[in-house]
Parts: sequence; C-alpha cells; structure tokens
Amino acid sequence: MPKEPIIICRGLHVSYGRQQVLRGVNLTIGKGGFLPLVGPNGAGKTTLLRAIIGLVRPSFGTIETHFAKEPPGYVPQQGLIDAMFPVPVSQIVAMGLYPKLGWWRRGGRSGKQVVVDVLERLGLSGHGHKGFAELSGGMRQKALIARALVSSPEVLILDEPTAGLDRESQSEILDHLKQINRRDGRTIIMAHHGEDMLNGVAKVVCQVQHGQVMMRRQGHDG
Amino acid sequence: MMASILDGFCLFPHALAAGLLIGLVCSVLGVFVILKRVVFIGITLSEVAALGIALSMLLQLPPLLGAAALTLLVVVLLALPIEPARLPRNALMGIVFVAASALAVLVVASSGFGLREVKTLLYGDLILTSSHDLALMAAVLIPVLAAVLLFLRPITYTFLDREAAKVLGIKVMGWELLYFCCLGLAVSAASKAAGALLVFCYLVAPAAAGLLLGRRLAVVMMISASVALLGTITGLGWSLHNDLPANQAVVVALTALFVVAAMIRGLIKMLKHS
Repeated sequence: MPKEPIIICRGLHVSYGRQQVLRGVNLTIGKGGFLPLVGPNGAGKTTLLRAIIGLVRPSFGTIETHFAKEPPGYVPQQGLIDAMFPVPVSQIVAMGLYPKLGWWRRGGRSGKQVVVDVLERLGLSGHGHKGFAELSGGMRQKALIARALVSSPEVLILDEPTAGLDRESQSEILDHLKQINRRDGRTIIMAHHGEDMLNGVAKVVCQVQHGQVMMRRQGHDG
Repeated sequence: MMASILDGFCLFPHALAAGLLIGLVCSVLGVFVILKRVVFIGITLSEVAALGIALSMLLQLPPLLGAAALTLLVVVLLALPIEPARLPRNALMGIVFVAASALAVLVVASSGFGLREVKTLLYGDLILTSSHDLALMAAVLIPVLAAVLLFLRPITYTFLDREAAKVLGIKVMGWELLYFCCLGLAVSAASKAAGALLVFCYLVAPAAAGLLLGRRLAVVMMISASVALLGTITGLGWSLHNDLPANQAVVVALTALFVVAAMIRGLIKMLKHS
C-alpha cells in the first residue's frame, strides 16, 4: 500500500540568476520514507533540499508539505557552522529547541534532559561541554544530527551528512539515520554524494541530474 | 602615585564613568564584531559617527542626533540583503570608511572651528566629558546593552548558523538588524567622548582577549568587559598621573592587556602539552 505523501513537489523550477538549477521536478515523498538524493556535484541536490525547507524560492511550481506546523529537523553541510564560536556542543544541540521555547523561555531541567538524552543516543555522552572545534568530523556531524532531532520533528532533512568523513564514520552516521527512520518512523531526505554505502539503508534513491529527478530502486535492502 | 591617580579620578569623575560605561557596552558588543568577522565595521561606524558629529556641529544640532542618524543609515544599508555580484561587502565598507574620514575633516575645516575643537571632534577626549554628555551616553548605552543581553539567544543562533536558524523559524534578518542598530547607536553615543580610535579599540581588543581566554560566550563577554574596565582605569590613571592624552593612554592599556591575555593563553597551552 503506498505511503501517505508528506512532501509533494510539482513542476518545481529553481534558478540562481540566469542559471537554472532545477527544471520541472515532480517528486512525492511518503511519510516515514528514507529518500537519499544522489547525483554528481552541481546536479541540484542541495537546491532541492533548500527549496523543500523554504530556504530558496521556486521560480515556478509548488511544494506541498503535510507535516505538523513545527519546522523539519535540518542538518546543513558541516562547514556552515562557525567552529570559532565559544558555544558548547550542548548549547548547539539546544538550539534545536528554539521553535518550542522562543527567545524568552529557558528550557529548564526538562530541556536539559532532552539534550542529554539525544546526545547519549548519538554516542556523544560526555562531549556536551566541549566546543564544536574540539570534536572530530564524525562527532560534529552527530552533534548537528542531535540538534535536528532534539525537537522530535516528523521530517529530517540532511545535506551531505557524511561528506568528508572516513568510511567508518560514514557507516556509523548512516546506521544512526537508519535507526531514526525505522525505529522512530521519521521521514528522512538527504543529499548524498555516492551510492556505495546506501545498500540496506534505503529501498529507493532519487537520482538528481541536470536539475531533474528520477526514482530508482536500490540493489539490496537490509 | 596611587593618591595622585585617585585625586585625578576625583577631579574628572565624568571621564572615568564615561570610559567605564563605553568600555562595558562596546566590549560586550565587540564579541560579535569579532565572531562575525566584521572588525572593519567598527572603525567604519566610528568614522561615520565622527562625520555625523561634525555635520551636527555645523548645523548646530545635538551631536548625538547627527551621529546616530548617519550610523543607523549606514547600518541599514550594509544590512540590506543585496550582495553586489562583483564586490565583497568589505569593499563597500572600505569606501564608506574613507569617504566618512575625509568628509569629516573637510566639514570641520570649512566650519571655522578652532584646532582644539577639531581635534576633540575627530579624536574625542574622555577628560572633556560633561555631566550632560554622560547622562546622554547612559540613556543610549544602557538600553543598548540591555537589548543585546535580553535577546542574546536568538542573536547568537543567528550568527552561529544563519541557515539552520532560519529553518528553525528565527527571524535572522530582524535579529541581525537589531544587533547592528545597537552597535550603530553605541558607536554614535560613544564617539563624541571616545573618538574613533578608542571606540574601535573598545570593540576589538577586550573581545579578542576574551575570546583567547574564554570557552563559553557568557565567560568571553565577562572577560571582555573586565578587560575593558581594567584597561580604562589603568589607562586613565596613567594619563592623569603623567599628563598624557587620556584616550590614547586607554588604547595602549587595552592593547597591553590583550598582549597579557595572549601570553596567558600561550602559557595555558604550553602547560597542557607538557
């Protein structure tokens, strides 16, 4: 039975100036699905993700979302966070609670506990007090996933979460994501640079090329 | 020596209070100036404020009015989300900086003021702070500090990771504008007494020392504020005792404290590795 759609893109066009990046993308993502967007650099994967979360405005077409009012959990590319900021990992994770708390409310003891729990789940217990710059690449990525997860969003959107990591860290991150998808039923959409490690993680992949998309079934499924 | 310094402070209490107030507020705001890597905006706004003061004097308006109007105009222009395709924002700031510096000199040169007024206008002088100046400064600087501290969380998140903040529903443009307007107001309020050089120094040196020594934002801000207060007291005391220009003495004291902070940092690193 087909899954209830949670995101529907119809005839999506996105341009940066004169450069057209997405050309008429039609895509339906089902609730609880795990959809990796694969394709070469510059194919439009990041732009598609950014359009879905509202960071870029489509020039034509529509995006319909059917998840709760709360924003999706978002994991940007690792380089976007400024590691020089004197902010501990726990506070970076607590940033994800902002939609629930606003600028005036503190998380209190329960907020702190949620942060501790999510850090523990991602294997970062004991690292909450550290600065972002003190973490390894894989740990930084896990901290960003923890930030995206802390408010328990229905949808998780990740931009190249394993980029620049060694194979062991890549596989660890993908295992965490698989668990988040299968155990918690969260919908995951992620841009990913290759397909070699996706077997057993997702049943289908979305090939993005020249600004268009094509769904493909993965070879094996775990 | 201590007695003569204390006598000096008693003789110029407004100078000490103005230095401490400006130091406290600018050193806290300066943490984001460094973290956001917009150090140049500090000196640019200081020069724009000097031009505003010069124009106000020429037009016989309150100095703060001209300084605040011009700095806020520049802040809003620089905050507009228009990224010129061929020029980085720093280049635009550079043009504003040189234009404001030259225009300020031209305005005062054509005003018929005496050399002392001209020097005071361009370089400021804490010693000349009157009770009226101090009250006006406090009326601007205290609310500015309160606003930045009250909204510290969304401002921090905006500067830490703008894109993720936007997705989380944080109005990043609004918070950025609020911070830079606070910065513009602080610089304008401080410029008449502190001048471009000292305001710039208050924005950069204490915050840099704080960032070298602190690992939490709150701690960095506290170290930064402490360095600014200590630098003001020692610099002003030194200038009063030796009859030196006050603002430049405070600048030297603040930079010396930065060097001390760098040495402490080096020592801590050495001890950690040994």
